[in-house]
Amino acid sequence: MSSNQLRGGAGRHIRRTLYFSLVLLTTLGAMVLLILSFQEGGIRALELLLLVLYAILILWISASFWTATLGFLLLLRGRDPYAIASAGHEPAAEGAEPFRTALVMPVYNEDPTRVFAGLRAMHQSLMETGKQEGFEFFILSDTRDPDVWVQEELLWRQWALELGPTGRVFYRNRVENTSRKSGNLADFCRNWGGRYRYMIVLDADSIMSGETLVELVARMERNPDAGLIQVPPVPVNHSSLFARVLQFAGSLYGPMFAAGLSFWQLGTSNFWGHNAIIRVKPFADHCGLPRLPGSEPFGGDILSHDFVEAALLRRAGWHVWLAYDLGGSYEEVPPTLIDYAKRDRRWCQGNLQHSRLLLARGFKPLSRIHFAMGVMSYLASPLWLLFILIAGLAAYLQSLESPVYFFGYNLFPVWPESYAVEMTTVLIVTLAMLFLPKILALVLLAARPPLARRFGGLPRAGFSVLLESLLSVLLAPVLMLFQSKFVLAILLRQNVGWPTQRRGDHGTGLAEAIAAHAYQTLIGVTAGLIAYYQVPSFFPWFTPVLAGLILAVPVSMITSRTSFGRSARRLGLFLAAEETARPRVLQLLDQQLASPPGHPCRGGEGHDLWLRAVTDPCAYALHASLLSGEPPNRRRRHYLEGLIFQLQDEGAANLSAGEKRALIAHRDGLAELHQLLWAGPRAPIDTAKG
Amino acid sequence: MTEGDTGSSLTTVPHPELGGEPSDWDLVAGRVTEYLRALGVSSARELQSLSEQVRHRLQTRLAAAEVEDPLVVAIEEVWGLLDDWLDRELGLAGDRDSLHATRATVLGGAVPNWTARFAGFTEGDLGGAIRAATVMAVPEPAALDMEPSPILLCCYGVRQRIAARLRRLVGGRASTSPHP
Repeated sequence: MSSNQLRGGAGRHIRRTLYFSLVLLTTLGAMVLLILSFQEGGIRALELLLLVLYAILILWISASFWTATLGFLLLLRGRDPYAIASAGHEPAAEGAEPFRTALVMPVYNEDPTRVFAGLRAMHQSLMETGKQEGFEFFILSDTRDPDVWVQEELLWRQWALELGPTGRVFYRNRVENTSRKSGNLADFCRNWGGRYRYMIVLDADSIMSGETLVELVARMERNPDAGLIQVPPVPVNHSSLFARVLQFAGSLYGPMFAAGLSFWQLGTSNFWGHNAIIRVKPFADHCGLPRLPGSEPFGGDILSHDFVEAALLRRAGWHVWLAYDLGGSYEEVPPTLIDYAKRDRRWCQGNLQHSRLLLARGFKPLSRIHFAMGVMSYLASPLWLLFILIAGLAAYLQSLESPVYFFGYNLFPVWPESYAVEMTTVLIVTLAMLFLPKILALVLLAARPPLARRFGGLPRAGFSVLLESLLSVLLAPVLMLFQSKFVLAILLRQNVGWPTQRRGDHGTGLAEAIAAHAYQTLIGVTAGLIAYYQVPSFFPWFTPVLAGLILAVPVSMITSRTSFGRSARRLGLFLAAEETARPRVLQLLDQQLASPPGHPCRGGEGHDLWLRAVTDPCAYALHASLLSGEPPNRRRRHYLEGLIFQLQDEGAANLSAGEKRALIAHRDGLAELHQLLWAGPRAPIDTAKG
Repeated sequence: MTEGDTGSSLTTVPHPELGGEPSDWDLVAGRVTEYLRALGVSSARELQSLSEQVRHRLQTRLAAAEVEDPLVVAIEEVWGLLDDWLDRELGLAGDRDSLHATRATVLGGAVPNWTARFAGFTEGDLGGAIRAATVMAVPEPAALDMEPSPILLCCYGVRQRIAARLRRLVGGRASTSPHP
């Protein structure tokens, strides 16, 4: 064992001991405060329940608080000797075997224009580094929507033609999208994994700069025991007020939290699903995901695969790092509160499923903590809800008791127990731990004036933090109810599905807002009335929660508006560093989106894209060339014949998306349909234009 | 391009040798021309030549067997003509995937003047240009094994395991594994 490794091992233990000691001591301290506030006479059942709930919740908050604080100290210091950036040795240049790195982008019914604009921007950024040798792009499509599918093909074709025969841009659409994204990646590894030493996994809205891509590969080369390096993505690109607030928070607080996570996790960090480089061979060897026994939502396919893959890599002895210091990694956030909640709904099921893995055999303790943190990120909401309800109930029961100030031989009055004390304790400790990291982020800005300028200057950044905090106070109870509903639905064994995300900016309409938030407003009004009339002493403490719920509809609508987002920007509010100094790769993305490329097949313009793949010989030939040559079985052939008759008799409007996809999913069926349509009474496309 | 260059006159050119009144070719000629245009053939001369070849192939098919719809067969024969030409140019030897890839290449407009060669009006090797312009959607397979890694859940099937042990203790007979 080298001295470096020894030093690293000791550092790791010291850091983790320090971190967990701080978290536990803070939790114990907060619990003692609460126990003291219960006063004499022992702890009642409700108080005990409150104490247990508070212990869990404060542990969760304390973990986050100390992560941010340690991250703050690390960033203030400037360099971490134990981080992946400092680790490893330059590999010997002589005799080094050439290798390839695949940039893989799994997509599922995403906007192809945005997908290809992002890929082209990354490609251009990579070219500008002059170190593009060995990088190849791979679009791993699981798209089921037939129009999106055909558009992906056309855009891939156009890009491949522009790059010429030496261009290394590949595309495939999976016949069956079994096991969703993890199955998509596994399919890639099984078919082409042997061609690559590394793969950099992207999401449909991921953007990574060329420098970051090159540096990731260099770090993997310097650290042969690294199985995965995650680069924390910074949220960018949306204009709605909601998204701009998230982008501001992500840009300002994100680096501090990432540094903190790296501080105590070191080589047992986590995988966040995208914007990470993975060593392909060990990934294929160890990260094939089994189906969990039992039925969904807790059994079946593992939905949130990333945490599990990181844990499996660690179980096999490979290190998983978080490159907190590496910029040039971006993603997009949901543009509205409702979209955010929808994303939560999908993630919630995956994270709760991890509860079954907490005690599974063989995982590293820190991997178990990652699972627990994932579970808690959603379980915290119903626990908070329960905590508030029990606190309210306790306050109500307290209000029913008539105080007796003098009894026995006491000369002095004995004041009744007051839940105001607990509530104050809970609020002060909790709020301090929630809001201190925001202040620490401002301290970091004060220490770095150039960085502060990128956030619009310290005063504006400070005011933005204040507004962001107020907004998060309003949003927190709404998200608490959303997440509690999701958790309840999952516990009741209702599958939440895996819908496509709406990623582009769009305002929330009144009908949509009422449909999503009406029950929250109703709960807010009812709870407010009960608290006001039945437990008036409790009411003032309850107002922040009530305000968020009662104002859910207008807040959801207002924050979804891009006009408010842009106005805030003009006022210099919520300015993220990536907005004031737009990184080159994001500029390239803007250029791509401003002038989207055409595609090689112009025939049948104006028709649905899937129909163009049937009617336009150019699109048809391209689509057929990308299909498997395997003929459909007899049952499938009969089904396709039925669909062709349906199309001829009733027209395309009566076909579902699945039926359209089936019609264009086999070469034989496609050829038959193509010929039949061209043999119809009228030519299916205007050849004078074509 | 002049009016005559569009090849619209082909729709009215009768081919009485196909027989019938009107002939099968009369019924399909216009659509075949439209279809060839959709493929990217625009010169009247090329349209004339290719239509003639399609007509000949159709005639052979009709003579060999009765067909339900001559137009479907005519469209099929356009592809047959294209495939035969690509096979001659590239020596594909029945490789269907390569054939489909090269079809997409020429119809996508990546090879200049391919229609003239297709119609038989130019000489020389176009195979090299087609190969150079052909982009493969995926690289050669380079497989890796990726089997599911076992994850042994804690307490899963514990009831069945306890029950099985109890059964063994009581009944003294071996039981099957509780795991599915």
